[in-house]
Amino acid sequence: MRRTERYARPASLGEALALKAADPAAAWLAGGTFLLAGDARDKPESLIDLGAFLPRGLSAAGAALAIGAGTSFQELADSRAAPALLRRAALGMANRNVRNRATVGGNLGANRSCSSLIPSLLVLGAELELAEGGPPAAAGLESWLAGPRGLVLSLRIPAEAGRRSACGRWARTACDLSVLSAAVSYRLSAGAMRDLRIALGGLGPRARRFPELEALFEGRPLPSREDMEARIAPLLRPIDDLRGSAEFKRFRAAALAAELLRAAAGQEADA
Amino acid sequence: MKVRFTLNGKERSWDCEPGESLRDALRRHGIVSVRDGCGGEGACGLCAVILDRRAVNSCMVLAAQAEGSEILTVEHFSRDRELSIVQRALVDASCVQCGYCTPAVVLALHSLLARSPEPSEAEVRDALSGTLCRCTGYEQFFEAARIASRRIRDPLYAEARPVDYRPELALVGKDREKVDAAYLARGERAYVEDRVEAGACHVALLGSPHAHAWVVSVDDEEARAMPGVVEILSSRNCPDKVYTTAGQGFPEPSPHDQRMFPRKVRHVGDRVAAVLAETPEQARAAAAAIKVEYELLRPVLSIAEAKAPNAPIVHSGEVSYVSGEPPAGSSTAGDGRDDPVVYQFPLHADPHRNLAASAAAGIGDVEAGFAAADLVIERAYKCNRVQCTPMEPHVAYAKVEAGRLVLHASTQVPWHVRRIVSRAIGIPENKVRVIKERVGGGFGAKQDIVVEDLVGYLAWKTGRPVFLRYDRAQEFIASRTRHAMEIRVKLGAKRDGKLTAILMRLEADTGPYGQHCLTVPMNAISKSLPLLLCDNARFEVSSYYTNLSPAGAYQGYGAPKGSFALQTALAELAGELGIDQLEMIERNRVGSGARIEILKSLGEGREGSAVTLGECGLGEMIRRGREAFGWEEPGAAGRRAKEEGDWRIGRGAVIIQQGSGLPGLDAANAELRLLADGTLLLLSGGADLGTGLDTVTAKMAAETLGLELQDVTVISGDTDLTPFDKGAYASSGTFFSGKAALLAAEDLKAKALAAAAAILGEPASGLALERGGIVAGKRGRITLAELGHRSSQGEGHGELSGFGSFKTEHAAFPYGAHFVEAAVNARSGEVVVRRYHAYQDCGTPINPSLARGQVHGAILKAIGHSLYEEMLYDQEGRCLNPSFLDYKIPSSLEVPEDFRVEFVPVADEVGPFGAKSVSEISVNGAAPAIAIAIHDAVGAWVREWPFTPERVLRAMGKLGGALPASRATSSRHSQ
Repeated sequence: MRRTERYARPASLGEALALKAADPAAAWLAGGTFLLAGDARDKPESLIDLGAFLPRGLSAAGAALAIGAGTSFQELADSRAAPALLRRAALGMANRNVRNRATVGGNLGANRSCSSLIPSLLVLGAELELAEGGPPAAAGLESWLAGPRGLVLSLRIPAEAGRRSACGRWARTACDLSVLSAAVSYRLSAGAMRDLRIALGGLGPRARRFPELEALFEGRPLPSREDMEARIAPLLRPIDDLRGSAEFKRFRAAALAAELLRAAAGQEADA
Repeated sequence: MKVRFTLNGKERSWDCEPGESLRDALRRHGIVSVRDGCGGEGACGLCAVILDRRAVNSCMVLAAQAEGSEILTVEHFSRDRELSIVQRALVDASCVQCGYCTPAVVLALHSLLARSPEPSEAEVRDALSGTLCRCTGYEQFFEAARIASRRIRDPLYAEARPVDYRPELALVGKDREKVDAAYLARGERAYVEDRVEAGACHVALLGSPHAHAWVVSVDDEEARAMPGVVEILSSRNCPDKVYTTAGQGFPEPSPHDQRMFPRKVRHVGDRVAAVLAETPEQARAAAAAIKVEYELLRPVLSIAEAKAPNAPIVHSGEVSYVSGEPPAGSSTAGDGRDDPVVYQFPLHADPHRNLAASAAAGIGDVEAGFAAADLVIERAYKCNRVQCTPMEPHVAYAKVEAGRLVLHASTQVPWHVRRIVSRAIGIPENKVRVIKERVGGGFGAKQDIVVEDLVGYLAWKTGRPVFLRYDRAQEFIASRTRHAMEIRVKLGAKRDGKLTAILMRLEADTGPYGQHCLTVPMNAISKSLPLLLCDNARFEVSSYYTNLSPAGAYQGYGAPKGSFALQTALAELAGELGIDQLEMIERNRVGSGARIEILKSLGEGREGSAVTLGECGLGEMIRRGREAFGWEEPGAAGRRAKEEGDWRIGRGAVIIQQGSGLPGLDAANAELRLLADGTLLLLSGGADLGTGLDTVTAKMAAETLGLELQDVTVISGDTDLTPFDKGAYASSGTFFSGKAALLAAEDLKAKALAAAAAILGEPASGLALERGGIVAGKRGRITLAELGHRSSQGEGHGELSGFGSFKTEHAAFPYGAHFVEAAVNARSGEVVVRRYHAYQDCGTPINPSLARGQVHGAILKAIGHSLYEEMLYDQEGRCLNPSFLDYKIPSSLEVPEDFRVEFVPVADEVGPFGAKSVSEISVNGAAPAIAIAIHDAVGAWVREWPFTPERVLRAMGKLGGALPASRATSSRHSQ
């Protein structure tokens, strides 16, 4: 088992980037609930702790909402400034002790398929503010997850009026990771779903948008749940593992996505 | 590196390694209340601290990250001798059981009350969601939170006390503070790991990566030369003898088939080598440097594979019998290579066919019974392997003192540890002293000698103090699990529901070794079949060796499985006959005055005899359940199919039973001394594993001698100081150990009266012992304090001491009726237990709230194996989920909304103050009751536990085929 041999706690972003440049193999450390978990698991040999400077908390950024990457899941769940969707998604991380420590940025860095939060960030169109050495740069969450780079400093949730959203997950117990997680968002216009976004976790190496599912229903009236389940399921490619058979996950994920598409219709549209 | 922070109000500056967790740093500095139950996965929360006002798991925080922070541990709330408002509430709510998680609960609730002084129940559940507890079922934690919250406003607030079950008695039948609760709530040193001294050596185990393989060679030359290595053991240099690790009475009904290090490894995690070194890191490094050559064998991974004609043989050594003859036709000649198998007496075994034990018997004529039936059904049920997961894993600390081996153990069976360890090492029993420390959860797993043999031998051989503590993964794969079982039930009945014949055919998977191989499956029969009265009943039991994780005892023993199969089958039959399932129970159940003929064939290895039951409380229990669940309301017969969106609501009811120890086999002893200050010293052989047994025995003494609980000091489970007791298993604690304490107290009382008579000059027959410990005669009075002082100074016969020894042929059966309301999502297969009522007869509840906590805890464990828990294996026999990440036990968020325990006491004529057992029985009801409720809700029978959504959907026909028995792929991080 590899242990951590070097630890640094830079006081500023500049110092952190300099440390990283000098020690490219070093891992960024935020809450640590992913990187430090498991006594018997290998740990990064070198850690750069971001706790001293990483932005924390929620704030208005023009019409958008900025979420500091150092914001804990519990802070996000408790924040009145956060969209209801994100508060609910944040509570999907079991359990309270972990939510008190785990950060939004760390969750993105871990980039796990079982994230309860990433699907919701994806359907809200989240953008990232990154530090890569030069001045902070912006990146779309979807593309960043496909090829992570730099250090996430904060997230930006654009204001998109008229959206209806819902999120959910399937877990074996309440204090489980999300075996399946999902979020949907669309505008209802003349009874049809527009700008439909569907993001799922648990069905591949990482959580992502599913354009193939979005295309099924974009611009169409909301079908019955049974219809949606029947059309979604064949497009999903989960694997058999100890958390469930591929057959079960396909069935369950389709049911979850269909349920959320119906549920979103009943939500208040975002102002 | 230096780390500076504030710990419990004091500035600290510690040298820490860059990668050291805050948990490890705190423990290194003597804060032992910060514990570890999950191996740093962040799943159990036992290492919780309050870091900058928030409860976090200190395993996932580097000490270095705490720079400049404020940290609180339970020690902050444990100043002086006072208890904090939360600690006091936990003690008053009787939810300090084993105490291992209590400091974490204290922190979680203080943190909650600081942000929300009047929390909702949802907030309380959420606050506790990070803390796993296996003892309490969480329900009384919720009560403690309520009490603490009320006391913020009203410091004198007290909950209304429950029913006083014995108004004529001073202590028995009412709640008193559990004798160890306060110091456990304070987080004091109490467990084995807290006894380890500086200079102790540490053991690293090298476990087999293969399920079945010859150990061809072990090359430890390089490892021996590594820094800090003290000793290395393997099959080459360990004692050459076999023993059983089952902590049962001698001669054990389990084969002696386990060598300290086997020549052939029989499961993944089986012992290959052990390194003793100065530090844990050195031991691990040396273990990794040992080179082992294996010769791989095909593993046996299921009962079907074990029975197959050309099956690989798990035990191929010579088979012999200490007494009795080998069964006719069985094979005994060994292959000259494998370790031998020694049976103490015949168990109808044939190890060379993988048959570890078998039995068959019955009453009447089942074939005639089936022929006479109007309807016959046959159903098969499957119970998958589950793990007890005590929050404190197996642990032992041994050292040699004054030429003797002293073993600090976390065990349910100190006397069996003493015997088995001394024989394994090859030293006289009187060279071994076993001291049972506070046990951080046992649940049956600690009835076995899982680590004490090795730790004891290493200490004896090297003379060094030796410490070994399993990590969570080892606890899963190399301690003990509940036997997997497949049970076929055939029932015949008349149209009116009256049973004409019962046939139970049970096959058990005992794993690589034979501990409890016959007694667990037999218990599945003996605690289920006698609930139903039927003239024709038969059972056939077979127990097979496999190469999966070792099986053993787990609360309820075999009963939860037999109960699941038989009670569910009865409900299935009721459905076929169009009879309400509860009515079906009523038409066939045992009741007051019933003659239980089947007990003739269930004699625990001896000739059994039929029993005529006295009063039985089942009728009243069922009446209460019917009323609470509105059983007779319209639509009650058959499916109710109440709908709430996708959810269908169903209900189920079952009756259950257990025993109270093993009549004719078990024995318990106790000694009670009157000290010179007038207090009592109770020396009890009993092993309190968090259940409150020490409180029960103390009450026996205090009640009988007219004193208060605080006047009794209990020393228990120390083989040098306390008399023999069989240990805590088979539901024997209150009934046997409690009764022994009561007999000792009665003996002391008689002696005290005799001594007082001499002093007062009055006949003893005219004296009475009054409350307050005063002997009152017609002419004079003398206190026990005065009596203790004078007798200890040599007056009369000297210091007064009473002795109690208890053994009985009397069987005391506790009964219960459990009612469940479950919501089943017809779309997703999810099952939520909304209401769970347990009506329970434990005779007189000695300490009602502690008894209630036993029931809550047992039920939640059973909800766990019914809905969530299952050990999964791949096709090589590797356990895929040996951690709480993927083996899910219930948290505070799985507790039923309406979770009620009511006692319906039927006093036992022999039990102490009428008491019977209480804890184990309550594990038996959840699986069948939930299965019946699922059927009531969605019309599908799920016959394999756990009833996961996937299995429910398959039973409903929404998914095709059956779930594969083993999983081909594993990937904890992929999907």
